[in-house]
Amino acid sequence: MSEDLIDLDGGQTRMEAAYGSDDGDEDLFAITAKREASVGAIFEQNYRPWDGDFGPRWVRNYAIFRHHVFGLFSSKGHRNYNPFIRLTILVIFIGAISPIAMLFFSSLFGAEPDGFIDKMWGVNRSNLWGQVLGYFPRNLCYWPLLTALVVGGMISDDRRNGTSAIYFSRPVTRVDYTMMKYLSVAVVLGFVIIFSYMLYYTLAIVFKGEGWGFLIDTLPMFLAGLLCSILLVITYTSIGLALSSISQSRFFSAIAFLSIIYGTKLVALLIDLQFETSILYILSPYDCLAHFGQWMLGLELNYSHSLSLSVVSLILMNLVSILVLVSRVSSLEVTRE
Amino acid sequence: MSDDIKVPSVLVENVSKWYGQVIGINDVSLAIEGGVTGILGPNGAGKSTLFKLLMGRIKPNQGSVKLFGIDPWEDTSPYRRIGYVSESERLYDWMTGQDFVSTLARLHGMTRNEADSRAEHVLEFVGLYDVRHKEIGKYSKGMRQRVKIAHALVHDPDLIILDEPLHGCDPIARTSIMNVIKELGNQGKTVLVSSHILEEIERITEQIVILHNGRLLALGNIYAIRDLLDKHPHRIMITTEEPRKLANAFIGEEPIYGVRFPEEGKLEIQTNDLSAAHSVLPRVIVESEVKVSRIDNPDDNLESLLEYLIGG
Repeated sequence: MSEDLIDLDGGQTRMEAAYGSDDGDEDLFAITAKREASVGAIFEQNYRPWDGDFGPRWVRNYAIFRHHVFGLFSSKGHRNYNPFIRLTILVIFIGAISPIAMLFFSSLFGAEPDGFIDKMWGVNRSNLWGQVLGYFPRNLCYWPLLTALVVGGMISDDRRNGTSAIYFSRPVTRVDYTMMKYLSVAVVLGFVIIFSYMLYYTLAIVFKGEGWGFLIDTLPMFLAGLLCSILLVITYTSIGLALSSISQSRFFSAIAFLSIIYGTKLVALLIDLQFETSILYILSPYDCLAHFGQWMLGLELNYSHSLSLSVVSLILMNLVSILVLVSRVSSLEVTRE
Repeated sequence: MSDDIKVPSVLVENVSKWYGQVIGINDVSLAIEGGVTGILGPNGAGKSTLFKLLMGRIKPNQGSVKLFGIDPWEDTSPYRRIGYVSESERLYDWMTGQDFVSTLARLHGMTRNEADSRAEHVLEFVGLYDVRHKEIGKYSKGMRQRVKIAHALVHDPDLIILDEPLHGCDPIARTSIMNVIKELGNQGKTVLVSSHILEEIERITEQIVILHNGRLLALGNIYAIRDLLDKHPHRIMITTEEPRKLANAFIGEEPIYGVRFPEEGKLEIQTNDLSAAHSVLPRVIVESEVKVSRIDNPDDNLESLLEYLIGG
């Protein structure tokens, strides 16, 4: 730290001091505050108009999208995700790609084809289905928790804090606002669910050194699984955002989402165990997806009710959720500030 | 059709808005174009409701709101030309002032470079350039108000709506923000500013809108409105050592119709024509040879005007 030393003889400043000791008394200097502090400053309020052109609609929409998605990685101009949420998403992603590690080790140690490791983690109908729609751990722990964390405050935070006004006082339509929120959630979920699925399939081929024949054999299964994973992302995003739009609390929307996913499953399971009918599984978003996925991948169906009921239920769930979301946002009055 | 027809920046026609049983705005109509206009009224008068209606945050139950001739609830394009500072809008506290303003600039469609450069300029304009890389959460109340003004100005709007921009600011921040508002008005922008601190509005503008219980009480120049209040005479307060002698001199003068002695050493003269009264004032004082130390117009200010209008 530097202080200005001002010569008392210079006449610029005066300091009354008691010369009670000899140390330093002979030096006619005093440490004072910087002289600039007493000078003061007037800043010029010179407003310069802006004559640039505003970008089109997609530029504005991209600004909303990046604000919500890039916040997972950086906070510069982005939505702030709690470090705990970031960490949890990372853990879920690592969990989702954990079969890749097993495939890697099996390739290192030269595991036998159709051996234990290959059956457990190799590319086959069951494992491709399980990579997205397997109940434990993915649909019990990973995907619902991931969705609840991402979607929790997506709209409810805006409603509670009045920050939706930040968007609505700009040339951002409510349709754009809703679409970009939807896309942001879908991309984050998609990054973990769909990307981990694609990574698993691709690296399985690479690690095992499979050829074109394997690719041709398994590609339809892979694409069926991919379609299921896209449906899962869409369904969870729709339900989650609809709940976020009717709530002013991120906690409520997250808990409500988990309740719907786990609650419907639990009730259907209890009814199934008691009365040996799987019909109530049509109320469970996960089971509708799992049912459809089993059919898509050519697996034996675990459900006794008709597949069409699950498909219709799935479509209705998505329609109702999107309807709730759109009607809530389009009529959203920002009365809270 | 002629293109010369000027569409007002703000056009509110017969607008009513109620929240359940509570009425927010009751059949208000007004048109505003150019310069600074103060929106006045006590708490609950409907100022914030009016602004929320303008900003498309809430929908009117009756009537229509148009900004630059367009209903903002139907079409958000007017918001390209509008900057809004709400009363207590939550900000993104984790962002720096620069990031915040730049991020919101991008919501208008600016590129990253344009947004950054423009954010720097408006932050400099409101006096936050030196602290632009500090997190908003660490800003003082005055700095937060100024960063809100900066984000409202970043896209160079033609209409700026400021809801209680001086609320919670220290005197230096108030002066700084008032200078900013005046400067924007001088540049030909339409600025609507609400406040319930009347002296502040008086320092910024003479153009006012007065709301009370959701109704529009008055609109226009403060002095013109005051002149229209016939049942409330203008008062001139004279501080003198000989109030009775001076009162005697005033009696009989044409514009003066009454005198009063409110306290020791004070003379209050009453008139319906303030400018005529002021024109005879010097002559009467000189002729009476009474020493006068001070002359005031105690009711020729916004506070009295509001009191007369609201209190009846």
